[in-house]
Amino acid sequence: MSRRSQLMRYLGSRLLLAPVMLWLIASLVFLLLRVAPGDPVDALLGSRASEAARSQLRHQLGLDQPLPLQYLHFLGDLLHANLGTSLVNARSVGAIVRESLPASLELGLVALAIAIVLGLTAGFSGIARPEGKLDLVGRLYGIGTYALPSFWAAMVLQLVFAVGLGWFPVGGRYPPTLVPPTGTGFYLLDGLLSGNWQVISGALRHLALPAFTLGLLLSGIFDNALRLNLRRALRSDYVEAARSRGIGERQVVLRHALPNALLPVLTIAGITVASLIGGALLIEVIYSWPGIAYRLQEAINQRDYPLVQGIVVVVAALVVLVSLVVDVLVALLDPRISF
Amino acid sequence: MQGGKQRAKKQLGLALVLLGLGLAGCSDSSSPRSPLVVAAYGSIDTTDPAQATTVSALQLLSALGDPLYAIHANGKIEPRLATALPKLSGDGLRAEIPLRQDVRFHDGSRFDAEAMAFSLRRFLAIGKLSYVVGDRIEAVRVLGPYRLGLKLRRPYTPLAALLSSVNLTPVSPRAYRQHRRSYLTGGFVGTGPYRLSFHSSQLQRLDPFNGYWGERPRNNGLALVSMGTSTGLFGALRSRDVDVLLSTSLDPDQQRALHQQAQRGQLREGAGPALEIGYISLLSDRPPLNNPKLRQALALSLNRAQIGRRVSDGLRPPLRGLVPPSLPGAVAAWPTHNIAAARQLLRGEGYCGAKPLQLNLTYRSNVPTDRLFALTWQESLRQELGDCLQLSLTGMESTTAYRQLGDGAFQLIMLDWIGDYPDADNYLMPLLACSKAKGHSCLVGASASSGSFWAAPGLQQQLEQTEKLEGPARIAVLESIQRRTGAAVPYLPVWLVRPRAWAQPQLSSPSFDGSGRVLLSQLSRRPQR
Repeated sequence: MSRRSQLMRYLGSRLLLAPVMLWLIASLVFLLLRVAPGDPVDALLGSRASEAARSQLRHQLGLDQPLPLQYLHFLGDLLHANLGTSLVNARSVGAIVRESLPASLELGLVALAIAIVLGLTAGFSGIARPEGKLDLVGRLYGIGTYALPSFWAAMVLQLVFAVGLGWFPVGGRYPPTLVPPTGTGFYLLDGLLSGNWQVISGALRHLALPAFTLGLLLSGIFDNALRLNLRRALRSDYVEAARSRGIGERQVVLRHALPNALLPVLTIAGITVASLIGGALLIEVIYSWPGIAYRLQEAINQRDYPLVQGIVVVVAALVVLVSLVVDVLVALLDPRISF
Repeated sequence: MQGGKQRAKKQLGLALVLLGLGLAGCSDSSSPRSPLVVAAYGSIDTTDPAQATTVSALQLLSALGDPLYAIHANGKIEPRLATALPKLSGDGLRAEIPLRQDVRFHDGSRFDAEAMAFSLRRFLAIGKLSYVVGDRIEAVRVLGPYRLGLKLRRPYTPLAALLSSVNLTPVSPRAYRQHRRSYLTGGFVGTGPYRLSFHSSQLQRLDPFNGYWGERPRNNGLALVSMGTSTGLFGALRSRDVDVLLSTSLDPDQQRALHQQAQRGQLREGAGPALEIGYISLLSDRPPLNNPKLRQALALSLNRAQIGRRVSDGLRPPLRGLVPPSLPGAVAAWPTHNIAAARQLLRGEGYCGAKPLQLNLTYRSNVPTDRLFALTWQESLRQELGDCLQLSLTGMESTTAYRQLGDGAFQLIMLDWIGDYPDADNYLMPLLACSKAKGHSCLVGASASSGSFWAAPGLQQQLEQTEKLEGPARIAVLESIQRRTGAAVPYLPVWLVRPRAWAQPQLSSPSFDGSGRVLLSQLSRRPQR
């Protein structure tokens, strides 16, 4: 069987498995939410209201229906790409996801770019002189940023650069005195497309600190991954062979070792993107970034079942999709991989 | 070649630095003409008065709409969209309300009795808190173009206070034609001093409404922003990202810091009427707390002043009644701190020494002050009464706790309560009402669903009397109810929570109405000297 057919077969099997995986995830979330104590009525009414009033609201929200019926409705809606309606504000879950997902993606992608630049620079820094000072600094940077608790780092950076120095806003996604741009939902992109500097600077100012924080925290992964893989590649036979042919060390590293060392980094980048779609919860909450993770956290607190289910299903679908794309990309780039 | 690369790198570096500095320099700082930025905790998911339940959403609606009546900061009820207080029929079952004739909705349509009736009926049909109104108002009638009639289920004298609820603010029938029985979440068309020009869950833009019938807002508009953490809110005020900060859900130490800053003149502080009460519900129908003497001992052991000082630096005044002292009918009926008396009671019941009374206090783990209260009380008891009374603590997320409240799952649980409208009835009924009782045990009713299960012969009749009586007679019954409750201790009032707001020094001090909401239209920039 040719490599191309193998790849297509692999792709087909993954695509066939994806709906099953999504059904399992959706069902699990549906069940877990109902098993957890407290429902949307408890979250909405708190300790107030009589049992009669609670029952009336439960009926109004359809929570008094038998669980299997609620499950069937949920699955039926899902099959028709209908994610349902929020119990808290009666808005379509699809609309809420469409509103918050671009915010998370914008933050995630910019953070990823920062992480890659910082991580790869640090990972590559000490390669000329292993065990040298630069190498040591790079290793410390990788371990340090990887080990930093994200909520702590985010709060410290917020305190220093936003509250203390006042260089950046404390939170939010756009200056509150301006009306946010309409368009793609990616404010930076909207600003660039319209060529409106006020939109670009407003979006960038709000994006800078959360994206840098997230990028910094993620950069350690790339630093460590590149460092390890590059070391391994530099000790491999094909690099020795290149050296023995008299190729300069710079060429050996850049042309022979680095491309091979970057392949696992691509996989890591894919996994990171997938995790960022779900949002960097703590970063979004600390910087009041109105992304999907922030919404998910609110929805869980409010026991807004359809919104939690909808967000989880959408995020799971995107994660499946991204990991599939990354797998295919790696397979196309690395001829050693078989299926 | 090498030199060219170096130069390019330097230029790129310089460009990045300039971009960074440019961004940092492009602050969002506001001009005197720009809207004021008001920040509060938590997203505002809805702008529909039939759907709003959160403090933030109600604060927003109070700027966008007008209720029939408003409660002044001095506690007096004054007509807003009504022109006089409700005129009750002889049997107290019918009310007639005259309405203003000079009011228009934000969409230009006229406010009249039809519009008010439309809004009330809509709320009764789909309002999430409709039980508050539906329990008292049976039907809404239009008696004339500007005369509204209400049919009550039973006589209810605090009707004007009930109608001061922000949830009952009228909406334009023209704008809500398609939403008679469904919510309109993305907009709001009411009669208030502001109209909603932009809404997302995190940001709402309010522009002054030119056709407003009353006093025009003293600012050029508002931008209400929601933040996800107390630290973020605190930092946003400190860094001047926001002009005004509301205290809801702000951590106690941060409130204290802002209060101290205000005292030094670095901020302007405003405080509203203390209408939120913090209390402990005691499971009084099961051992050991079915013994009233043990409940009394517990009441005597609580050093409110000390706990209030340690937890909130005195920002939460001690409370010895279920009704906030600012409301008519309030009385301090619970005993004061007296360790010797508590010890004597406990000893008399066979506790102390080898067999101390062991109780469990549940606190809401997501409410920082609850946890601080629990830890402080536990330690205070250990020091003062450790040989007689020991307190263990359990933290539980609030929604989980609310779910189990009516099941009698908690010996002691720390809760809070703020009435939907400021009247004593709205504090006593939700905690003490009981429709089915057996001796001192409430089987069905508010007392059971709030985790106390306490009942007393004739108490329900007294509660119902307060809905019919007026003036001194009503006050006397309200006080009697509280004295009976204070002696039986099914609840333990702890403290009062006063809403606060802080503004930048160049702004006017925030002021509150009698319902505890900031009067956003009165916020203004002070003229520069």
